[in-house]
Amino acid sequence: MNRSTLCRTLVVLMLCAVPLLIAAAKVGDSAPEFTTTASNGKTIRLSDYRGKYVVLEWHNNGCPYVGKHYNSGNMQRLQKQWTSQGVVWLTVLSSAPGKQGYVTATEENDYLTKEHAAPTAALLDPTGEVGHLYDAKTSPQMVVINPQGVVIYSGAIDDKPTTDLQDVQGATNYVSLALEQAMAGKTVQTPATRPYGCSVKYRD
Amino acid sequence: MRLCHPRSGICRAVALAAAALFCAAGAPAAGTPVPHGTLELVSENQWIAPGNTIHLGLHFQLEKGWHIYWVNPGDSGEPPRVKWQLPAGVKADEIEWPTPRRLGTSSIVDFGYEDDVMLIVPLRAGAGAAVLGPGDGSAQLTGEVKVLVCREMCIPGKAQVSLTLPVKSQPPAPDAQTAELFAAARKALPQRAPANWRVSVADAHDSFTLTAKVGQPIAQASFFPLEESQIKDAAPQQFVAVPGGFRLTLQKSDQLLKPIARLKGVLVLAGDRGYIIDVPVSETVAARRDDRGGLDFVAASFSWAPLR
Repeated sequence: MNRSTLCRTLVVLMLCAVPLLIAAAKVGDSAPEFTTTASNGKTIRLSDYRGKYVVLEWHNNGCPYVGKHYNSGNMQRLQKQWTSQGVVWLTVLSSAPGKQGYVTATEENDYLTKEHAAPTAALLDPTGEVGHLYDAKTSPQMVVINPQGVVIYSGAIDDKPTTDLQDVQGATNYVSLALEQAMAGKTVQTPATRPYGCSVKYRD
Repeated sequence: MRLCHPRSGICRAVALAAAALFCAAGAPAAGTPVPHGTLELVSENQWIAPGNTIHLGLHFQLEKGWHIYWVNPGDSGEPPRVKWQLPAGVKADEIEWPTPRRLGTSSIVDFGYEDDVMLIVPLRAGAGAAVLGPGDGSAQLTGEVKVLVCREMCIPGKAQVSLTLPVKSQPPAPDAQTAELFAAARKALPQRAPANWRVSVADAHDSFTLTAKVGQPIAQASFFPLEESQIKDAAPQQFVAVPGGFRLTLQKSDQLLKPIARLKGVLVLAGDRGYIIDVPVSETVAARRDDRGGLDFVAASFSWAPLR
């Protein structure tokens, strides 16, 4: 092996190793950048939304915990409430092909229409890259990023870790709480919780 | 070629045996259906008696590959919950949770049970016999169970299980029919750690260092935290053998933003034997005093009270 081959090999090895060395984002960290395709065909870059609050919502249409929030209309209500106030709402689909919750762009667009869902965009993440960047464990795990690009909330959508529709009412919604507190210039009181739900159906 | 004459005794025996085998394999187990399995409420005792505690069992039998969850379900999922409907004066205690298993090997790890598991529930009948009516009667014991059953996907289920037991004044006699089931379920429960063990936990910034001096070499161990959001469930637990025991490094959960006073959970040694531990967390590794045999160890006060 000559010197240049060796160098090239080393560079390739380093490039391969880098993604593994990046620890998943946690509260207080800079939100990791990603570029991915949305179901509407647009390319979505997180950095395009610098200066705005961004909500990430992990989604799997077959998960009963997700079903609780869509069948009750809770998720759609949150999406409309916060996007109308300038928040960017990104639904993230990290199910791998062949696994529960994996959908094509067309299937996702049909779902959004049928459910009257109103995210800013639905991100197709079949490789799980975005999911792993944020260490998303469950659907519906929620992440809130502030205008400076810092993760200010990661965890459950609310404090009722069940599949019962009637538990939506009266639950403390951690996403709304984080957004309200941050927008009022306050510290987010509950910045991290256990994200309840179904495990994200990653490829691995 | 005929194997046996249809009227011969041997042939009948073969046919019966074959039928029995077929039925055993094909017929659903007794019990109320839950997603991908059944649930049966059983009693260890033949009757209940005022002033006495008996034990009930929630016996889950699941199809291969499906699982339910421990009291701390880990990264995802939800433990079974029971709402009891009991006669006045009869009170169900918290579930006694068997030692769980790690489920999943990738970035998401859950804690729970596969195949066949029985959750034991102590049931206390009040001392006042009057609460159960005068003389011998019967008590209907009903549990509304909510259970999440998962494999690759999760299905929430609800089941109502019921049992009617006589009420007598003499101490409850064991039921021979369920003795084996309860013996197996008790064997699966984590036990109190032996008195000679010395277990200490130190806060080491991003991790906890759990040191256990158990008086013998240990080849492997793992820890199941009773409470959620304390350690990273999916992170490998680094095991190091030390003289007379071992040390485990447990990565802290990203959701753990404040120091914790105690670490509670189940230590599982090779052979699947679980031991309950509940130890104070010391501030730094340096503050540990190994020469004095570790810090205080409390098992007696350990409580499985619900976390939520």
